Amino acid sequence: MNILIPNSWLLEHLETDATPKQLQDFLSLSGPSVERINEHNGEPVFDIEVTTNRVDSMSIRGIAREAAAILPQFGIPAELKPLNLPDVSKTNNPLPLPKILENDYLNHRTICVILSSVNRAETPKWMADRLEQIEMNVHDAVIDITNYITHELGYPCHAFDYDKLVATGNEIRIVEAEAGETFTTLDGESFTTVGGEVVFKNGEGTIIDLPSIKGTKNTSIDESTKNVLLLMESIDANKVRFASMTHAIRTTAAQLMEKNVDPNLASDVMKMGVKLYQELCQAKVASEVYDHFPNQAASSTIDITSKKLAEYLGFELPLNDSVKMLEKLECQTSIAGDILTVTPPSFRPDLVIPADIIEEVARLYGYHNIPSILMPTAIPLNRPAETNFGLEHQAKEFLSAIGWQEVYTYSMVSESEALESGFNIEDHLKISNPLTEDKVYLRRSLIPSLEAVISHNADRGSVSVFELANTYQPQDQSLPEEMLTLAMISTRDYRTVRGDLESLLTKLHIYHCVITPLDTNDQIGIIQVGDSAEEIGQIAVGNKHVHVQLKMAALVKLSSSHPTYKALLKTAALIEDLTFTLQEKTKVGSLLAALSQADPMIESVNLKTIYNRNFTFTIIYRHPDQPISSEMVAPVRKQLVTLVESDWQGHLVGELSN
Amino acid sequence: MIISSFLEELAKIEEQLSKQANSSRDDLEKMFLSSNGLFTLISKQITELDPNDRKTAGRSLNQLKTAIEAALAASTSTNAKDKRWIDLTMPGEQPTVGHIHPISQAMAEITGIFERVGFTRVRYPEVDWDWYAFESLNMSPSHPARDEWETFFVDQKADLEKGQVVLTPHTSNGQVREMERLGEPQIRMINIARCYRRQQDVTHTQMFHQFEGLVVDKGINIQHLKGTLDYFAEQFYGPGTKNRIRPFHFQFTEPSFEVDFSCHICSGTGEITKDGRVEKCRFCKSGWHEVGGCGMVHPNVLKAGGIDPDVYTGFAFGWGIERTYTLKKGLEIDDIRLLYSGDFKFLEQF
Repeated sequence: MNILIPNSWLLEHLETDATPKQLQDFLSLSGPSVERINEHNGEPVFDIEVTTNRVDSMSIRGIAREAAAILPQFGIPAELKPLNLPDVSKTNNPLPLPKILENDYLNHRTICVILSSVNRAETPKWMADRLEQIEMNVHDAVIDITNYITHELGYPCHAFDYDKLVATGNEIRIVEAEAGETFTTLDGESFTTVGGEVVFKNGEGTIIDLPSIKGTKNTSIDESTKNVLLLMESIDANKVRFASMTHAIRTTAAQLMEKNVDPNLASDVMKMGVKLYQELCQAKVASEVYDHFPNQAASSTIDITSKKLAEYLGFELPLNDSVKMLEKLECQTSIAGDILTVTPPSFRPDLVIPADIIEEVARLYGYHNIPSILMPTAIPLNRPAETNFGLEHQAKEFLSAIGWQEVYTYSMVSESEALESGFNIEDHLKISNPLTEDKVYLRRSLIPSLEAVISHNADRGSVSVFELANTYQPQDQSLPEEMLTLAMISTRDYRTVRGDLESLLTKLHIYHCVITPLDTNDQIGIIQVGDSAEEIGQIAVGNKHVHVQLKMAALVKLSSSHPTYKALLKTAALIEDLTFTLQEKTKVGSLLAALSQADPMIESVNLKTIYNRNFTFTIIYRHPDQPISSEMVAPVRKQLVTLVESDWQGHLVGELSN
Repeated sequence: MIISSFLEELAKIEEQLSKQANSSRDDLEKMFLSSNGLFTLISKQITELDPNDRKTAGRSLNQLKTAIEAALAASTSTNAKDKRWIDLTMPGEQPTVGHIHPISQAMAEITGIFERVGFTRVRYPEVDWDWYAFESLNMSPSHPARDEWETFFVDQKADLEKGQVVLTPHTSNGQVREMERLGEPQIRMINIARCYRRQQDVTHTQMFHQFEGLVVDKGINIQHLKGTLDYFAEQFYGPGTKNRIRPFHFQFTEPSFEVDFSCHICSGTGEITKDGRVEKCRFCKSGWHEVGGCGMVHPNVLKAGGIDPDVYTGFAFGWGIERTYTLKKGLEIDDIRLLYSGDFKFLEQF
């Protein structure tokens, strides 16, 4: 939450010589962050971020209190000025207060007073200027006073048109709304209740206020208003939050109340209100003060030892030093032995446990004054077995080095992209509150997203992209299985992509990649390695592009940081090329495997070139113990030719010499 | 001529070849391949051999020729008279290379920085139970603090104990999971993952990345948190980078801090001079960039992870990778949505 604090308004509550820049720097270091100083009407206005737990600082007074505690720590004298508010004087001509049907569960305090003969005066210039500085609209004094007080003291207050209340029985019932009731807010917007909102109703059962959120039109101030009921309530924070969020009415009042603003503040707010209505609108107090404040929370105490404090700070700080700081924050303190007992003020519900007190002491001591060192403790060695981030990065580096571009695409996809993955739409996890229609389903495949990247870069000609990311497989009554997938997609041809895949696997010391066609069209192949039956991924030839999907978990399992060294053979090899003419649809991969295994003397067989149906293979023959000769190779060569002719219906181009 | 003397002759030539390592290409050609070169002369003698020996001789001759060719290839053309002209101003032929995505580059750098001081990188679910994402982090289902984590929910039946399924809005779900994995401290975790929030503008994307640090042990205090932040800032942004921690609030840390780094655009002054006029720097807040949050682990979080807060203390931090990375001096990415656009014009710059 941000709040605008004009410097001169702040100084009405704070006695100090600090410059605006000093206030900005020192508040930011030890308290609420002063993000900027804006100039407005020639005066500095602080734009301050207040954290959600510090609703007590959401006011001029609250910031002044912080400044009074912080500035002296930087050597700048500062004091919070007392609030001099007169008691509300009794009246001689009373008007009857409304009959209020309290509900102590829903509402923790109600305080109100009637002000009569309210003059519809213009908002005085000094107040209008300040409201403009804090970017609030200026109406007239009767309305603006409530906004002004809320900003100054940090507690919401509401002015009812008293006569409108009287017209419907002068009764306020604090109840939960049923579903389907309607109300219209003071700015004319109509709502229907969902049930459970805390509302004020009159004796006729009509909603006459959405307390702590927004007034309703049927009881709000208008041009005919003469008498005002100034009322502060303290509706249960969760209830306020529920109604405010449900109807998206996010007023300052709601934001204060849903954060448990201290109901004790309401008395000062009422006194301030009466004072301003008297001064600016010549109003008269026309009733006793009604104040229903049951179950006032007893102050709780927090004990803290100097040892505990040192545990967080890393050094000993005398308890007396802490006491001085805490008392500036209006905490009561006492020391008995090594124990400091702290009683926080009622407006600090955020102070509950010793760590909360430590935070107060540490920030006022100044985080910038605390030394900075790295941990001297033992380095943990227990690493998760299932991940290998080094391998992941190695794969990325290798692919990018051989021409593949890494991309990051969204995990959420549109309905059409989800369907492109080949899974039914109901087999996807769906986001119940998507922000945009193109990101609704958790994807089961990275391919549609990568296809979109290719389309996006259509002007590029040859494009190869990859992504390492999770796919999400739904599981019954459980979290989805997040499958880390390395997906590659390229506009290049199958052999080039497969070559890159094979070299990637080899780089990771995963050898002997085997691809087995899966379907009858031979468009999808299962990727396996070595003798393992485990499928590590798939390769598919689409209409235009080649897709590869690899399971990272399998790569992690099969990879190695190093190869198994094979003794270097000292004997010379004999290398020769053989060209065969092969039949249509011959599975060259299978043929290669068969040729490689035909004889122990064959070290390797590689496909060298393809010309029409002629396939040239480079064959390396080697004997581990002796130099290889033509005489030794001849029978093996013949065996290869026979194999191709008999099992694959191919034939050698040329003739064997003998 | 008999085969043995032929082979002996060949061996001599081979030996001579081996001594010519520093000879120029021209000299080598003259010595071995010219009309009266050693290789030319010996190869003519093959006809004088017994036909049965010619095959062996031919193979040996071939080996010699291969060796001569290799020597030629390795030699330099030092004879000035025949030096071929090379246009050194010609552009090079570059191989096609891809690029590692900037987020991956940042992740690798961040991982390295923390691993050097003993952190272990981990991975936890991106789609997780409400318990890990919020409730175990001291945030009950109705807590207003949850507003700041504009959370995506998965349309799936809630678990009675662990609550709804959410897309993790931060990497802090790894905190209690890491405590559970290890059973007891020591913990020095760095958790980097995709995160998701319902927001989208020039500085926010529905999907982004965070890195989360968690340290739990006996005697861990604010000094160690500051030390770790200072170390990271120096390593990631370079020596002399100023940073500060300020009071902040998170439900899962107490005390909580916001971490700022000095703005490199305005050198931490909050003002820039443009056309002779002094203006407020629009990239930062008064000279500082908020990078992310951190704090001492809340006792309730330690308890949720089965760790005794009376014995152990810890600190945690969680920052956006995009935010942290784009503050690198001179990078000047002004729209982080580009990171997820898949646009080659952008990606090829990295």
